[in-house]
Amino acid sequence: MIRFFVSAWENFKEYIVLVILLITSLILLSQNSSQGIQKVRSIAFGTFASVTSIFTDIFNVSNLKNENENLRRTNAEMMLHLSRLREYGIVNEDLKSLLALKDSSNFPLIPATIVSKSLTKSQGTITVNAGRNQGVKVGMPVITDKGLLGIIYNTSDNYSIARTLNNVDLKVTVKSERTRENAVMKWNGDWLVMVNVPKTYDLKKGDRIVTSEISSIIPFPLPVGVVYEIGNVEKGIFNEVKVQPFIDFQKVENLFILGIVKSKEIDNIEFNFLNKQ
Amino acid sequence: MIKQHYIISIILFFPLLLIQTTIVPFLAIDNVIPDLILILLVYYSITQGQIYGSVLGFIYGFLFDIITGSLLGSAMIAKTLAGFTAGYFSSENKKDQYLVSYNFALIVLLCSFVDSTVNAFFSSINFTTNIFMIFFQHALLPSIYTASIALMGMIFYPKRKMF
Repeated sequence: MIRFFVSAWENFKEYIVLVILLITSLILLSQNSSQGIQKVRSIAFGTFASVTSIFTDIFNVSNLKNENENLRRTNAEMMLHLSRLREYGIVNEDLKSLLALKDSSNFPLIPATIVSKSLTKSQGTITVNAGRNQGVKVGMPVITDKGLLGIIYNTSDNYSIARTLNNVDLKVTVKSERTRENAVMKWNGDWLVMVNVPKTYDLKKGDRIVTSEISSIIPFPLPVGVVYEIGNVEKGIFNEVKVQPFIDFQKVENLFILGIVKSKEIDNIEFNFLNKQ
Repeated sequence: MIKQHYIISIILFFPLLLIQTTIVPFLAIDNVIPDLILILLVYYSITQGQIYGSVLGFIYGFLFDIITGSLLGSAMIAKTLAGFTAGYFSSENKKDQYLVSYNFALIVLLCSFVDSTVNAFFSSINFTTNIFMIFFQHALLPSIYTASIALMGMIFYPKRKMF
């Protein structure tokens, strides 16, 4: 028996090692969401990100001049918008107080810089230099001046990993700003697509797409992109709509983390409602 | 005692991952980026053998998944298979022949194709689109890009052994 194992090892040791390694990988694949793995992950990327951030800072100095110029221009444009919005704001406040509506527009913004990117075709992630110490929590939306970039996936003390919109594991409920019709949007490896869109929807090329209030992650509208192409699926009653994102994921460097996570109170109400049915 | 090159092969992973996650994204062409870690893996698999290549691929994959936040296990399987494939070319007699620029680039192309195909499979990409297009965009294009970088690297490969 021992001789058999010895000769099998001698003849097939490469394959035996390969099979053992593949089985171990498959076991770990099924343990992705376990607490232990998440803990190891946050320590590992937190340590690595602290080194990467030094490297990125040196690299980013050359881009600061250009960025400053762009920011000055954006500032001027914002100032013009602001004066107009201030007027609307005053009217809005009056109307809200008349209707006794709650204010839901003041959310804290946590500034951060990207220290590293993993831009694979299907699993885009970024590491940013803000973590638990800055108040970042898992599930918080990551935005830039152009709109939604992704969602925080894991945090360490001073760093966080976010899944970008070009990650197949991130799905967001969005709506058309013009028609107010909702759909689920995901990354298919090449494009952001709104899936299972009924053919009766009145979407047109160029329509602005924003996050929907019914989203379980982002409960108010954030710009996402514009409709680029409306698929023409011959069979069935659903279409696929390609969305061109506002953000260029390769070029983005600075961002904000929106200090909100989905309310547990809402979760509990919905859960109790479903249980009663 | 652990051999020196075992430790060096692990240590080299970290500066390479640093470059992979900070500088390489600037070289992206339509989201296609070269995989520098795979080039290092192929080099060590050819010089050290198939078992070493598989184990090193497993370690590289684990570190990559855990640090970048991608699906834990996906890069592990992809890189283990890539290391195993590269190990086929580790014959004592032909080792130096395989490390010559264009031969090395071809092996990198093959291993990168294996690596990217496994990664594409784990990404649950929409299979309603043409499967050949998926292989072309998600496996072949990154492989060609990685092989081109390997080719450029091997042109400057020192004839004298460094490690």
